[in-house]
Amino acid sequence: MKIVFDHVDKNFGLITALKDVNFTVDQGDFVFIVGPSGSGKSTILKLILNQIKTSSGQIIIDDIDLSLGRKEAIDHIRRQIGVIFQDYQLIMDKSVEENIALSLDIISFPKDKIATKIDEVIKQVNLNSRRFLFPSQLSGGELQRAALARALAIEPKIILADEPTGNLDAENSWNLVKLLKDINQKSNTTIIMTTHNQEIIEALVKRRIEVKDGQVISDSAKPAKETTKKNTHSKKHDHS
Amino acid sequence: MTTVNTTWHHIRRSPIQSFTALILMAFSFILISAFLVVNSGLSRVLDYFETKPEITIFIKDGLDNSVIENTKKDLSTYSGIKEVKYISKEKALEIYKQQNKDNPMLTEMVTANILPASFEVTVSDASVLEKIYQNYATKTDIVDEIIYQKDVISSLLNWTQIIRKSGLLITLVVIVISFFSVASIIGMKTTNRKDEIKISRLLGASNFYVKKPFLLEGLFYGFFGSLIGSILIFSIILFSKQSINSFFNPVEFISNNLNIYGMAIIAEMIFGCLIGLLASWIGVKRYIKF
Repeated sequence: MKIVFDHVDKNFGLITALKDVNFTVDQGDFVFIVGPSGSGKSTILKLILNQIKTSSGQIIIDDIDLSLGRKEAIDHIRRQIGVIFQDYQLIMDKSVEENIALSLDIISFPKDKIATKIDEVIKQVNLNSRRFLFPSQLSGGELQRAALARALAIEPKIILADEPTGNLDAENSWNLVKLLKDINQKSNTTIIMTTHNQEIIEALVKRRIEVKDGQVISDSAKPAKETTKKNTHSKKHDHS
Repeated sequence: MTTVNTTWHHIRRSPIQSFTALILMAFSFILISAFLVVNSGLSRVLDYFETKPEITIFIKDGLDNSVIENTKKDLSTYSGIKEVKYISKEKALEIYKQQNKDNPMLTEMVTANILPASFEVTVSDASVLEKIYQNYATKTDIVDEIIYQKDVISSLLNWTQIIRKSGLLITLVVIVISFFSVASIIGMKTTNRKDEIKISRLLGASNFYVKKPFLLEGLFYGFFGSLIGSILIFSIILFSKQSINSFFNPVEFISNNLNIYGMAIIAEMIFGCLIGLLASWIGVKRYIKF
């Protein structure tokens, strides 16, 4: 699934969250979106998920323009995206196992294989002893891993991870990143991950899109010149 | 997790709301079932009276056969006459014995001589009754007494209509109240679960997928509400059938045919499911707009 951001602007009232964002992510890419808090990283993920709409510009996933796509097409795209939300977005009155089962049910995963799949992902994220607990009974790190298990269960084509290491200790952070890297390599799953963790970014040597004040200020996949040129142009345009 | 599991989960998670919806639905169907029973009983009462002769002319003893024949012919000439039946003294005794077969003391002492012969006239046009009454009331040489049931029937008909109309009105009001109560309860439940709905939508659930458990919940209230309501009232009625029927004797106010009750329960359950489904659909539609 190819993701294309084409001159995307996003405003929240008078606040500009994203301005003229352009990039393309191909199937199987591993991309870090980095930048300070409030720079627009999470907004990019929300736009990919069509959780919010663009103010202008186009986001094209799998040749479908999200702003024009029918509800059914958007739902179909969402079913192929595994998301690890910053605030986990787990259903509070369902156990970890039930949360995972729900996401599998949504994608119409074969009913007789749901239990096996849950076992598999729960082991993968090392939450075996917590599978019957409710989100309110879990620590921040466990919640993060439960959200990861839910995302992995559907065998997605894209994984969107919003600060997934934010609540994890160093060891669990590395385990998670290693897991995402393995999935990316073995299943050719696209990974788009927002993070502040410089250590991880530098250790993995993956594509890095840097966002500041709603603008892409660098993209390691593009020639440095082009990004800089574009930035200078947009800054000039802003001043005028 | 199947839709049924999710629905059951929703029901268990807000037991008071679920119980209220179920009770309201059951109460509506108690009234509907009671209304059906009363309505069918009243129809039987009316049928009974309508099939009875609407005017009975008792004639004097010792009249010639020719007079009787002429009177019968004369009565038949009125327009709007359905049937003119001559009941001889012997026939009257036979009817009397049949009516009092359980009480031999009464039948033993009665002979045909003490019972009067009569003409039983049934009509298709009620206006002719008045004419017959007016004409025959003056024929004192042949007429002993005239029993005219017009007033009884019209008064019974009026009462029946009033009971039917008010029963229908009360039932309709209760159905509307329970319909909107179920819609509101489902609406509240939808609002309570807005986070779950939002998350499910973000995971790719279709609009129908997130609505399904709520629609099934409405169906649940309709199905079980109608089942509880109808079975409860039909059981009470069948249990007290004998005393009710003996009160309305000789009319069989409560039917003995169990198939009728079975069919009524099925029909009410279908109706209940429709109400529950429609109410939940309205409730969900109001709150799930994304």
